[in-house]
Parts: sequence; structure tokens; C-alpha cells
Amino acid sequence: MIGIGAQHMLSGDHAMPDRTTTLGRLEEVVSTVEDFDRVVLQALPILLDRAAGYTKRFLRETGQWSDDVAHEKFVLRWGAEYLEQFLVSGRSEVPCRPLFLLDSIVAKQHSRPEPFCYHSDLLTPLGRFLDGLVGRAAISRDALIALYHHCYGLGPGQIITVLGLNGSESPRIYKNFQRWRDSGWKRTIEDMGITETELHGLNEQQHRQRQRFNGEAERILRFAQAHYRKSEPDHYPCLSRHQWEDMFQQGYGIEYRIWHLALCLDCLHTAWDVGFGGASAIEKPRVTLQMQP
Amino acid sequence: MGPEQDLVEYRERLLNSMKAGVRRSTCGASDAIQVFVNQRRVGLLAGAGAEAALQVQTDARIENVQLRSEDGVLLGGLSAPEYGFRTTRISLLRDTMELRVQNYAQGGSVSAVFIPAPSLWHRARRALAGVADAAVPRPATGVAPGMRIVAFTQVLLAVALVGLVTDRTTGWMTPVRSPLPVTQTEAPWAAPLAEVTKLEQQLVDLSRMQAKAVDTIQAQQQGMAQLQRTMVKLLSTQETVASSVLTVKQEMEQRRKGATRDADHLTRVIMSKAHSAQEQLEAEIHSLTVANDQLARERAQLEQSNQELKKRLKSTGMEVSKAPVPDREKPLVAQQSEPASPPQMAEARPVPQQPPFLFWVTFSDGTSQDSIDRWVHDMHGRKGALSEGWQAVEIGPPTEPMDRFLDQIKQTKIVKAVRVSR
Repeated sequence: MIGIGAQHMLSGDHAMPDRTTTLGRLEEVVSTVEDFDRVVLQALPILLDRAAGYTKRFLRETGQWSDDVAHEKFVLRWGAEYLEQFLVSGRSEVPCRPLFLLDSIVAKQHSRPEPFCYHSDLLTPLGRFLDGLVGRAAISRDALIALYHHCYGLGPGQIITVLGLNGSESPRIYKNFQRWRDSGWKRTIEDMGITETELHGLNEQQHRQRQRFNGEAERILRFAQAHYRKSEPDHYPCLSRHQWEDMFQQGYGIEYRIWHLALCLDCLHTAWDVGFGGASAIEKPRVTLQMQP
Repeated sequence: MGPEQDLVEYRERLLNSMKAGVRRSTCGASDAIQVFVNQRRVGLLAGAGAEAALQVQTDARIENVQLRSEDGVLLGGLSAPEYGFRTTRISLLRDTMELRVQNYAQGGSVSAVFIPAPSLWHRARRALAGVADAAVPRPATGVAPGMRIVAFTQVLLAVALVGLVTDRTTGWMTPVRSPLPVTQTEAPWAAPLAEVTKLEQQLVDLSRMQAKAVDTIQAQQQGMAQLQRTMVKLLSTQETVASSVLTVKQEMEQRRKGATRDADHLTRVIMSKAHSAQEQLEAEIHSLTVANDQLARERAQLEQSNQELKKRLKSTGMEVSKAPVPDREKPLVAQQSEPASPPQMAEARPVPQQPPFLFWVTFSDGTSQDSIDRWVHDMHGRKGALSEGWQAVEIGPPTEPMDRFLDQIKQTKIVKAVRVSR
């Protein structure tokens, strides 16, 4: 892997005309929302580097850092996540000192037990692809529905059948699919920093060693699912077979089915057994990764 | 493409997407909005053009509230205060979302209200009424008088317009006005001067009336705007007061609960102590009753033993009294005449029977049964009942005083304790 002094490189190419002045402005009190927007918008690169720098320091201190592009992209991605939250919630904190507010938001995140999903396997192209998909599914319903396609190769009709959805939910599933194909997938891939070359490489790997590739994908997928499922407190607990039977027979828990089964392979198998008992035309869902939407 | 270039492009992309912000969302107005509390999805607001609301209560303290579209784009958010409430209005392209978050001593609550954009007609009416700020809610009571004035002005204006149109129409319909298709050069001769003057006067009147109506409308608009500002201030003050009252009530409630809890705790402690004391007393009474019963039984046994002893004494006494006197003197004679007679003979003589002496002993730990039997045999005694570790031993009446006898028994190696009463 190539060691990169990202902090230096990033700030070198895109240095602000007067970085010190901008930093000084960020340390001053802003009194109105308009001022906040203006000051922050002018200093986005500085703020992104600052948030990424904190994340890098966190990884270093916890012994998880390595000097390579994957790690640099990882800290940039999480820096951007924190910055996005800062941009939105900071407006309600006015009057404030923007720089210190960002510091406090990042510090608060890093004081949590698992501030983000980190695993060395998630930094490979395959890991980043899966992490990006599952992570996006925690905040986007489009991505959540698309998980059924990317992980198990299910189309919208099959999703509706497997999840036992009713008429009113079906158009929404098609809409989610459509939007994901139109823009969601591309945006997620870009947000994850996955290049065309990497995607091509993944396709080739899958073509050459399909079984091994899907086996590896299932291993990483289970790890990512377990982490991101925690962002859904109401949908987190796995249910027993009896409870799934009851839910499908009585027809309740539509949201539970949609959210939990997308993020839990074992429960999806149970639900499939309950719904079809092996007598269906739809094959039991297995991890067969689909790169394209 | 080198890794450095790749990284630089990635960073640029992230920055650009952040600048794009809300515009990145491809969701339509009818799509639901996801509500996240502390970055966890808690519900959906499916407005679809109508007003919708979502209420969430949490046990944990709320740190932030975020709104995301179905494609995951962060539309807006609110950072919750440490304690108390905070409200904000988030503009979503056309619609508006009103967020209110409140933190209590334990837990918090979030209220999200989706307010759809007003329709075209509604906006036109508001614009006419001078209500430029459509986002500020206004109570119906405050709006009604103003609206009535505006409506009256509108009616007045409409009447004026109708009058003008009628006037022009009647002018065109009259025979005097019939030669309309005359050329521009012929016009001064075609229309009488008085008629033109009258028309001009009417137009001037009308324009004056219109100007007056516009002035009135503007004045009304200003009045309405001022009224609305006052109403907003009043509402804000009212909300603050209501919140303060609520906070005070909650604090009072908490204090009351705290005091009640303390009193309950104290009562429980006292009751618990009394209960345990009562239980202890009952246990003591029970043990005393048991001991009393045991004493009564022992007393009964002793009385029975006493009765038996008396009977034996009596029977022995009777036997003694029945024995002939010479027989009693005979041994004396025999002793005198035959002094060298063996002791066996003397022992064989009938001697008055004395009741056996009964005592109880406990033996040292590890004493074998053989040792006990041997000791009893050496004592010329026999074993009686075994009760609660005490072995009854019956021997002939000891010749030495009781204290010494007991000391001797105690000094025996295998004996641990001895007593004469049970």
C-alpha cells in the first residue's frame, strides 16, 4: 500500500487564500443563521480536513490506522458525515463558535462505544462496496430496498412476494427501485469513493471465482449488517420462527419486515421458510452479489 | 489514475455534494420524510400534500433530530438543548417542517409537524391580503376582522369596476356613440365635447376611487402585518410562559413525588423494622412454648419416675416388714459363731434392695462403643436410654458422697460430662 500524507496533500492543493483569516473567523462568535451559513460555506475544506483529522487521530489512538488510500478515504468519508451533521444541526446552535461546535460534535461521536463501522476487511473494494450499501440502507429506504437486489438478486416483485406486502406498499417498492437505479446507486458508489476500475475488478473476481467471492461477500455482509442494524432500535431484535409465523399470518409489522429482513440474513431465511416452506418458485435467498442496480 | 489523484477527486466530490445539500434529493413532494432521533430512525411523516404530525417519546436524552428523504439525503435537523425545549421550522423546497424537541430530567420528546405548501389560490388570497410571510401561523380569531375589511374593500372595488364597465357599455350602446368606426382625424367632430368631458370626469373619479381603495388596502395590509407581528410575539410569549409553567409543574411534581417517595421509604423502613421485631417476638414465644412443653413433659416423666420409686420403696418396705425377725438375727449369730465363713455366704444373705442410681453421661468425641460398654461394665451398671446425646447409666447406689462420686465419673477419660437429672 502507498503511504500518503493526506492532510498535507489535501490542504496543499485546495488551500484557502488566507487560511489563518478563515480559521480566525471560524473561532469567532456567529450570531445569526445567515452568518453561520456564510462563514461555514467559505471554510468547508478546512472543516472537512479538521473532521477527517480527528477521525484519523481516533483510529491511530485505537491502533486501527494504516497509511494507505483506503484508510485516507475512510477518514474523509466519516469526516464528511460529521461535517454534514454539523452543517444541519449547527444552525440551531446559533449563536456559537463554529470551529468549537464542530470539535464538540466530533468528540461526542468519538466518545461512543462504536462511533463507526470499522473492520480491516471493510476497507477492501468489496468491503467498501458492502459497507457503503448497508450503511446507506440505515438512512435511505431506497438503499434498503435495493439491498434485497444487490445481496440476494431479488427484483421488486419478488421482494413484495417474499415480504408478503400488500397492495398499498407495492408501488412504493417499485418507486424505491426506480429512484435507486436513477440516482441512488451512483451517489452511493461515489460517496464511498469506489472507482470504475475497482467495480470492474470486483466483477472480474466474481466471474472467475463465483462461489468463493459470494462466500467472502456473505462473511463481510453479516458483519456490516450486525453493525448497521443497531441504528434501527425498533427493528433490531431477531424474532423467533413462531413470531415470524404469527406476523406473516396476521399481516402486521410491514415496516418491521422490510427493515429487519433487509439487514438480517438469518431472519430472511426463517421468513422465507415461514412464507413458502420451500414450495415456492422463488428460490431461498442466498448471497449472490449484484454490482449493478 | 494515481492514488493521490483518486483521493483528491474523492475529497472534491464530498465537498461538492455537501455544497449541493438538500438539492441532491430526488424525492418528490408526495414522498415520505424519515425522522431520526439520535441518528436512529423513529418514524415516517407521510404528508402527501396534507398536514401530518409525528410524536416521539424517548427514555434517553435527545441529542439531535434529523430529517432525511427516502433517498437518504439529510434535509434538516435540530440540535436538542440540554434541558428545556427548542423549536425550528425547516423549509423543504416547497413545504415546511416544524420540529420541536424537549428534554426532561429523564428522556425527551420530539414533535414533527409537516406543513404542506399552500395552494395557488390560497397564496393569491394571502398576497391580496398582504400576508407575505406564509410561513408564520396565525390564529383564525386574529385574521377574521382583517379579512372582513379586505373583503369589503374588494367588494367596493368590484362595484366601482362594474360601474365603469356598465358606463362604457351603455356609452357604446347609445345612438350618440354609434359612429365609432370613424377615423382618428374625424373624432373631434364625431363626439360632442360635453360627453368627452363627462367621460373624463368619470375616469378621474374612478381613478381617484381606485387610488383611495389601494390606499385603504395598503393601510389594511400594514395594519394586518403589524397585527400579525404582535400575534406572533404574543404566541411566542404565551409559549414561553406555558413552557415555564410546565417546567415548574414538572419540577413541583418531581419534588412532590420525591417527598412522597421519602415518606414511603421511611414508612416502609419503620414497617419493616416493626415487622421483623414482631417476627422475632413470635419466634421467641414459639421457642418458649416449645421449651415449656418440653419442661411439662419432663416434669410428667419425673413425676412418673417418682411414683415408680415410691411404689418400689413401698414394696421393698412391705417385703422387709414381712421378713421374720430370727432370720434377721441369724446372720448375726452365724457371724458370731462362724467368723471365718466366706464372704460369699454373707453376700448371699438377703439384703434390703435399694433403688438403682440413675445418671446421664456424654462421652468424648470418638469414644468407641466398646470403651463405653467396658466402662459401664466396670461401673457394674447397665446402659439405659440414649436421649439427645446423653446416655442413661444405671448403677447401684454409690457409697461415697454424691459430689465426690460425680467428680470421679468426670475424671474418667472417656466421659465428657455427667449429670444426675435429665
